[in-house]
Amino acid sequence: MWTVSDDALVAGLAAGDRDAASAFVGRFQRRVYGLARTIVADDRAAEDIAQEAFVRAWKHAGAYDPRRGSVVGWLLTITRNLAIDAVRVRRPVAFDPAALLGFDAPSVDRDPAELALLSDDTTRLRAALARLPEEQCRAVVLAGLLGYTAREVGEMEDIPLGTAKTRIRTALIRLRAALVNEERTE
Amino acid sequence: MSALNCVDVRELAPELALGILGGAERAEVILHVNACARCQAYVIELTEVADAIPQLVPEIEPPPHFEARVMRRLGEDQRRSRRRWVASIAAAAAAAVILSITVVRVIESNDTAANATPVAVAMTGSRANVPAGWAYVSGGRGVAVSVSYGVPSGEYSVSVGPARGAARTIGTMTIDSGHGSWTGQSTVPLAAGARIALVDSRGRETCHGVVPAAG
Repeated sequence: MWTVSDDALVAGLAAGDRDAASAFVGRFQRRVYGLARTIVADDRAAEDIAQEAFVRAWKHAGAYDPRRGSVVGWLLTITRNLAIDAVRVRRPVAFDPAALLGFDAPSVDRDPAELALLSDDTTRLRAALARLPEEQCRAVVLAGLLGYTAREVGEMEDIPLGTAKTRIRTALIRLRAALVNEERTE
Repeated sequence: MSALNCVDVRELAPELALGILGGAERAEVILHVNACARCQAYVIELTEVADAIPQLVPEIEPPPHFEARVMRRLGEDQRRSRRRWVASIAAAAAAAVILSITVVRVIESNDTAANATPVAVAMTGSRANVPAGWAYVSGGRGVAVSVSYGVPSGEYSVSVGPARGAARTIGTMTIDSGHGSWTGQSTVPLAAGARIALVDSRGRETCHGVVPAAG
């Protein structure tokens, strides 16, 4: 079955094409809502954020730059930023990176075509995160997913600012190294 | 000129990539990165990793009728700012030249850009009749072309044919791994019924679209 590329849907968005917009929303709504819901931990707020993310994507589709990442990465960055802004005050108390990132989630039944579209990079990144020391994994997920600054990570983890910065930096560098090394060994 | 050197910037680059660096530090790092190709490449690599982290979050089914509510909001936005996307098309089409994005677009000629309304044209493969990309036509002669699938790698002529009149080549574009783009000026006005096509080196039309009447 032929599938319209993500880039083509964004181009349709940029042109104000409602069919493309509908297909775009249908394709990404579970990911956008899932990310918003994960960050804000509230159904209603998550829906507001997810809706706003699609409106922003619609408004700014013309500025999408495929050299700077995938469509889903672009859209989820919009979503993440909106969600982080929404929880500036209301921070989650409990935090489990493994649960947030679905390390233990049962595999979802997908058709082969959809499976083929899933990024190898995503699989590798998940494995690399799981291999990090727990404190580094927590630090980089707090920062990269929930938008905590190094100072906030330090406060949340009850560690000095310098230690928080080191954990964040080391974790991200290790993730990058893991992805690069795996690409080289393929 | 940034007060930071490369060592300083590499210490802070992960926080910049993760979007958690603020204030003066962020400004200083960006100032350095803009002037240092090696640090810039480093930040880009880290940013690619950082941007992938949110993609790991499991999908969740949104509440019922979510898509319909989003589409309603998009409709409201479209009515409020109908003219906005005329500008966005021009911007996106200009970006297509530089960024090799994945559609076919025809943009406004210089003197009609402010008044033209773009018309979307679906480009389809001429043999297999499968979508190859999109065209957006507005105002006449400015043309930007890019396709993303179904077209084999190689050199192609960009051909336009008015509703009445012979087709003519207005440029050439390269397709590499299914992707390619081109932008330029049409030598003939492109009105409703005009045909846009990519023609291979043997003169065979590979994909085409017909400009519909402006809605």
